[in-house]
Amino acid sequence: MKDEEIDDVLKETARGPYVLKAGTLQRVSESIKTSLRPVRPLPPTWILAGGLVLVCAAVALAGAARAGFYGIDKMALLERALIFSTLIAFAWVVGIGFVHEMVPGSRRHVAPGALLAIVSGLLVGVFALLFRDYQTSDFFSAGIACLLTGLLFAVPTALLSWLLLRRGFAVNPVSAGLVAGTLAGLAGLAMLELHCQNFQAAHVLVWHIAVIPVSAAAGAFVAWALRLRASSGNRERATHK
Amino acid sequence: MLEDSNLENLMAHYQQGDFDAAAALIDRLSPQLHRFFLAQLASRADADDLLQETWLRIHKVRHTYRPGEPLLPWLYAIARRVRVDHYRKSIRTVARQQAMEDMSKIAAPVAAESGRLDDLAALLAPLSEGEREVIEMLKVEGMSLEEVARATSSTVGSVKQKAHRGYKKLRERMSATAFRKRHSGGLS
Repeated sequence: MKDEEIDDVLKETARGPYVLKAGTLQRVSESIKTSLRPVRPLPPTWILAGGLVLVCAAVALAGAARAGFYGIDKMALLERALIFSTLIAFAWVVGIGFVHEMVPGSRRHVAPGALLAIVSGLLVGVFALLFRDYQTSDFFSAGIACLLTGLLFAVPTALLSWLLLRRGFAVNPVSAGLVAGTLAGLAGLAMLELHCQNFQAAHVLVWHIAVIPVSAAAGAFVAWALRLRASSGNRERATHK
Repeated sequence: MLEDSNLENLMAHYQQGDFDAAAALIDRLSPQLHRFFLAQLASRADADDLLQETWLRIHKVRHTYRPGEPLLPWLYAIARRVRVDHYRKSIRTVARQQAMEDMSKIAAPVAAESGRLDDLAALLAPLSEGEREVIEMLKVEGMSLEEVARATSSTVGSVKQKAHRGYKKLRERMSATAFRKRHSGGLS
């Protein structure tokens, strides 16, 4: 059997007037009529993504201003240019991904998990190229302190990003949480690069970059938990009715 | 005038608070949304509920539609979310859990064995959920690959893959049905 024949069968099956139960459409129209008022559509993607990049930059700069710009002071010009231009570019790409997750029917070029892997992988590549000090001292104690600091600044970024996109509607909340976490992780990493003056390759490659996947996982988990809570709430309300 | 408008224009008017545009959209899109839910093996009553729930959700988030963008991917993305929420709610209800299991175990084989090709849900029953919705949107509603990819939050490549797998299963099933018909016709 050819594909064209299957097409014909499918079209034939769905052909003809489709009659809905009387009153169904009227009920829908009536329920909409009572609350119908003009609404303002969401701004274009580039404006929202630009806003998200600004949020990331503001949080990272505010964090480093409080803790000290020791990291960027110690960096060579090439390192500064390469690291921060890469971070801004990734924040832009992930920001666009986050906006797409919050607008139903948006084009998706890369799945959120793949985006996380690509961003983390490329950052490992860039950092491995720039940081060539292969000594390790205080690997765990210094590393965990940096990871926690990065995550600490990822939290306000995630909250502000959510505030910026609160009018959106995530058709897949867990994916949206994952992308939001990735973006927040980038802000945490940017803050660490501005502040941390430990340039040992192992420290930067493991603990600094770990902020991104850990933050992404936390974002996905929070979204999943919120969704579960919301559906439990709906169920309880339905039971009480 | 609204009757001649395309869906995107109607949606833009709906966002501006035009009730006639909203009513025209509901009239024009409800049959295909209802058929979409039925094709996902929902019962008629469930499809009615899902349709109403979808329009309420659309109404609530109508500001997320951007004028100039294709409407159907936006609409189906919301419809899919409503369907997923509905099934999750059903699954959590213990009494209905058994019914859902029975339905998923029984519905597919019954439809597949009956050999009826005159009913869309029965025809698509042997396919997986993803394959079913992709073929329904592509071949029944006439959406493009790009539109289906947007509606299902996936890539064009993934949509093509699902459509290919779905067609393979449909071809096998239809060939088997045609063979059975010829065979039984030859015997009688």
